[in-house]
Amino acid sequence: MTELRTLNVNGQPRTIAIEPGATLLDVLRDTLRLTGTKKGCDEGDCGACTVLIDGAPMNACLLLASALEGRRIETIEALAAGGDLSPLQRAFVEEGAVQCGFCTSGMILSATALLRDNPHASREAIRHALSGNLCRCTGYAAILRAVERCTGRCDKCAKGAEHRATAPPAGAPSAPGSAAAGVGGCSVGRPVARVDAADKVTGRAIYTADIALPNMAHGGILFSPIAHGLIRRIDASRARALPGVLAVITGADVPENTYGVSPARYDEEVLARTKVRHVGDPVAAVAAVDETTARRALSLIEVEYEELPAVFDALEAVQPGAPLVHDRYERNINTHVSHHFGDVESAFAASHHVREEVFTGNFVYQCPMEPQAAVAFWEHDGRLVLYSSTQAPHYVQYMLAHVFRMPLGRIRVIRPCVGGGFGVKAATNPLEVCSAVLSRIVGRPVRIVFSRSDMFHYYRGRHKQHMRFRLGVDAQGRITAFKSEIHLDGGAYSSFGVATAYYAGSMIPTLYRIPVYHYDGYRVMTNKPACGAMRGHGVPQPRFAFECLLNMVAEDLGLDPMEIRRRNAMTPDTRTVNDLDIGSCEFRATIDQVERESGWREKYGQLPPGRGIGVASGGFVSGAGYCIYRGQVQAQHEKGPEHFQKRSVFPHANAVIRVSEDGMAAFLMIGAAEIGQGSDTILVQIAAEAMGIPHERVHIKSEDSDISPLDLGSYSSRVTLMAGNAVAAAGAAVFERMRPFAARLLGCEEADVRARDGVCFAAGDPTRTIEWAEAARRYFNETGPLVAAGCYKPPDGLGGDYKGATVGTSPAYSFGTCACELTVDLETGKVRFDRFTDSHDCGTPINPQQVHGQVEGAIVMGAGEAIMEDVQFDDRGRILNPNLHGYLLMTIKDAPEIFSGIVDSYEPNGPYGAKEIGEGATLPVMGAVAHAIRNATGVWIKDLPITPEKILEALDRRAGARDDAREIKGVAKVPVGAGP
Amino acid sequence: MITCELHEPTGLAEAAQLLAQFPGRARLLAGGTDLLVDLKSARTTAGHLVSLARIESLRGIESRSGLRLGAMTTIAQIERSPLVRGPFAALRDAARLMASPQVRHLATIGGNIASAVPCADLPPVLGVLDALVVLWSPHGERTAALAEFFTGPRQTIRREDEVLIAILVPQPPPRFGAAYERFALREGNSIAVASVAASLTLDESGAMRAARLMLGAVAPIPLPVRVVEEVLRGRRLEETLDEAAEIAADAARPISDVRGSAAFRRRLVRVLTRRALLAAHQRARESSHD
Repeated sequence: MTELRTLNVNGQPRTIAIEPGATLLDVLRDTLRLTGTKKGCDEGDCGACTVLIDGAPMNACLLLASALEGRRIETIEALAAGGDLSPLQRAFVEEGAVQCGFCTSGMILSATALLRDNPHASREAIRHALSGNLCRCTGYAAILRAVERCTGRCDKCAKGAEHRATAPPAGAPSAPGSAAAGVGGCSVGRPVARVDAADKVTGRAIYTADIALPNMAHGGILFSPIAHGLIRRIDASRARALPGVLAVITGADVPENTYGVSPARYDEEVLARTKVRHVGDPVAAVAAVDETTARRALSLIEVEYEELPAVFDALEAVQPGAPLVHDRYERNINTHVSHHFGDVESAFAASHHVREEVFTGNFVYQCPMEPQAAVAFWEHDGRLVLYSSTQAPHYVQYMLAHVFRMPLGRIRVIRPCVGGGFGVKAATNPLEVCSAVLSRIVGRPVRIVFSRSDMFHYYRGRHKQHMRFRLGVDAQGRITAFKSEIHLDGGAYSSFGVATAYYAGSMIPTLYRIPVYHYDGYRVMTNKPACGAMRGHGVPQPRFAFECLLNMVAEDLGLDPMEIRRRNAMTPDTRTVNDLDIGSCEFRATIDQVERESGWREKYGQLPPGRGIGVASGGFVSGAGYCIYRGQVQAQHEKGPEHFQKRSVFPHANAVIRVSEDGMAAFLMIGAAEIGQGSDTILVQIAAEAMGIPHERVHIKSEDSDISPLDLGSYSSRVTLMAGNAVAAAGAAVFERMRPFAARLLGCEEADVRARDGVCFAAGDPTRTIEWAEAARRYFNETGPLVAAGCYKPPDGLGGDYKGATVGTSPAYSFGTCACELTVDLETGKVRFDRFTDSHDCGTPINPQQVHGQVEGAIVMGAGEAIMEDVQFDDRGRILNPNLHGYLLMTIKDAPEIFSGIVDSYEPNGPYGAKEIGEGATLPVMGAVAHAIRNATGVWIKDLPITPEKILEALDRRAGARDDAREIKGVAKVPVGAGP
Repeated sequence: MITCELHEPTGLAEAAQLLAQFPGRARLLAGGTDLLVDLKSARTTAGHLVSLARIESLRGIESRSGLRLGAMTTIAQIERSPLVRGPFAALRDAARLMASPQVRHLATIGGNIASAVPCADLPPVLGVLDALVVLWSPHGERTAALAEFFTGPRQTIRREDEVLIAILVPQPPPRFGAAYERFALREGNSIAVASVAASLTLDESGAMRAARLMLGAVAPIPLPVRVVEEVLRGRRLEETLDEAAEIAADAARPISDVRGSAAFRRRLVRVLTRRALLAAHQRARESSHD
């Protein structure tokens, strides 16, 4: 029975009606509207809902609110009482311990409880206390630094050094060749604290699921419980009869247009009409007055299926007679990529050494801490407004325009704070479409939020790839030819998969000079949730396999792994065999730095049994050269087939800057999606630099498609380079408009006006200065608003002339190398990471702190992917671990020590010389881990994840084969710690 | 949202009355870390939750010829209690390894036992400490050896009208040591793939006067391995370690699941048994120097 209860929340008595089964989490968020406490799993696994009860950290999702009378409840909102951040909150802001922010409240509360108890907690005590708070972005390194700093035990404190995150003082890199030449500032190149960090450490940041609009209804989606079947009958009468239910929709009630990602393969139905293709396929949706009613209604919908034979394995699915997931894809082959450059067989025949190996990847889920959510409503004039947790607002807008047959301008997409994406939020999802459909029917705003289990069943995670690789080298270890055959398990829909299949092949030749290259890729449909784009899109598994094979070949030849990389390393200004144009490239410098910093020469081959060190490299695009859909942006989705042209027909990134009338603030409007990676901060820095004002005066408005011009979104590591260039251009244009006014005030030639840090001055006479704001004010007073725009189009002509040549094209490429040190328990197979040493060529960083944050996060994600992350299915296509206790993300106790290095580099196509870091940093990790395990144990594990069980089995096989192996002559001595 | 009524009795008699009032529909609620998750996902249902949180007599740790742990004592309290040390250190070790800090503040020793999940961390350790569980009902109290408490996955000898109110851990003899070894796939917030608790009492010569071994996560119940106990008695550990490990591995009845195959678990039992026995032996020897 619902009763009035008085809870003591943040020092205030709150008398509220509480249902007896309501968790504290739901009461805090829904009743008290304290939305700083986050719902990440609702099962006590993630720690995002951590609150303090009588000072002790607990999961609010595991507490019944009505049982808490008389207890002292503290949420994140209590910590910055009076408006001042607590020392811990300040440390999180300044140390870069905040990225997407979704784990931040819980993390800070756990740390707060620890420090109250133990103000000088050791590093080990911190790890212990924070081990129940999962973070997917930071790799925990910055979090550890932030908490440690508050214990007075960190290195900086010991040295009496300053903690402010705005380290290197003046002399910050100027901007040679930048769009804003002539303007010198001091924003770019500095570790400026994130613009959204203060909101995220206080719980003020608003994520989509935090939005509660007046009269809002709550939606839910019913998913197929079977992997493959025909829908014979749906009876929703009982659901419709349930009091509080506002609408129930099925495939018959939704727009018929299928949607997806690749225009040639829009194969997803809004709700399944006749057939379901995987466990988790959306079948029906409801809207109700509250979440509980919505969920109950879903359970009352009766669906009768005729189950069909299903296929779950990519290699089986291509066999004749296998069940077809879609009739249109013969042998279930969704895409076949055939890229042949040169005569590979002749090249192998002429090679000194050739090795062929088979590798297998794993199903890895992006697992952002924030579940996807959407809120939709229709305005009185028929415009659709959608709030969504998305990485690519423009593509969502474009896809809704397609589904609803509406002009783009009649759809407004708002992207609130996004709690991480890593690719899973790059495609339009059923929440976005169903909330819009339901909202139109019920005439109220409708919110739908994924549960953690829903997230896994929607998936769109990494494709599992089956890779047969063959590598030839000459006597010096120089690559002569490479052949790759890959079957990608794509799941039931195309999603991003066509691009994935191309990326799996196209990126391999960017790192090493490969003169002859054959790639055959088959993306195969199976009755599993659709795979999509995940950090490193299609490339991490082939990169893992390639790096392993390269290290194997180095062993075969008795070459040091660093040396074989140097001998084959890509050089600047090179066109690859598959027609990709490499510009800046400091790959060799990354190898050298890792070799030096990791102590490679003292360690490789010198470590005791069970300890190992390994190396691998990787790199990525800085933005895709072409848009996902072809042709121009137009009012309607309908358009005739347009002939493909090798140029961008519209700018991929667009920015507008408006300066406030008093000249003291600049508003940067751009649709680039801040999803936790820090793009809002980077773009603010660039705008400030380009205009010559302090970054504190720039305010970014990136969340609303009504306000900000189109940007393609956060995928393919494109934002820093592409949006950055658009912003730099807009900033320069603002300055150009203001220049004559400043010149008049300064009494100098227009050409001599310079601006820096909010001051305009005349070149040659720095004593003559005026406030930047004064010039801006003068502009407004005389001519009205000071507004300018900038845009960025990738260079024309990127890529070759063969089919699929566009995928992998980019204005710039990153390069990186990573060494992993680890310890293997040879009795249990357990791997413990000791240290990673990473070095990256990301051009000239805009914000070094954020670069390190990306590297640290990528290493921990990649390391987990290498040894523990694996979505597992039973023999009927059901996910066995759709939760955060079965699907394992590394905790702060698992996270290694990380050295992150940045080599000197300058990319002419990037803003102020910058290129990507977010995805490239992931790529070397798995190969380095596999190599280190080989080095520690003597065995190569070629299928991911490298579990303890697989290590033990391989050790057994080796023990059995050891005697035989001794007989083989001519095998080079392998420097292996635990070798025979 | 969970649909149920919540009852918060302040005494055992009241709790018993509620259980009697809603037969088959009432569930005892301790820390709730398992039950609430199961209720949310509809894996289980209960019309009435009878919370034990407000029954003061069920909380806290007392030291009287051993330990008496109230069933509602949280894992965090065990982890931090100055009483849970010395010969009881293995219990603290297990508490420290269990779940996450947040869950340890919620979860209780009684819940960890009574839920009878095969991979629970405390039962193996309590088993080798010869712990007893105290079951209370309006008809009286009874005690049972913890090792005899479990009858199957999520099944125990507890009758529906009974409440597990306390755990008694007898004071171990001199030259006693116990240890808990556990394998999990990650370091923090993990679930045991296999675990082994061992305890040894040495005689003056260093031979084993008594031994206990109990396995977790590798059988339908926390599994005592009596045969090993017989084999070890009167002998020195060095000469029996391999044999004990083999017997334990044979005794295990593991299943394959997302965390590992049955064969892998059996293999872990062999390794963990050796490690647990060695660690217990080390502690026993150290205690004899006290």
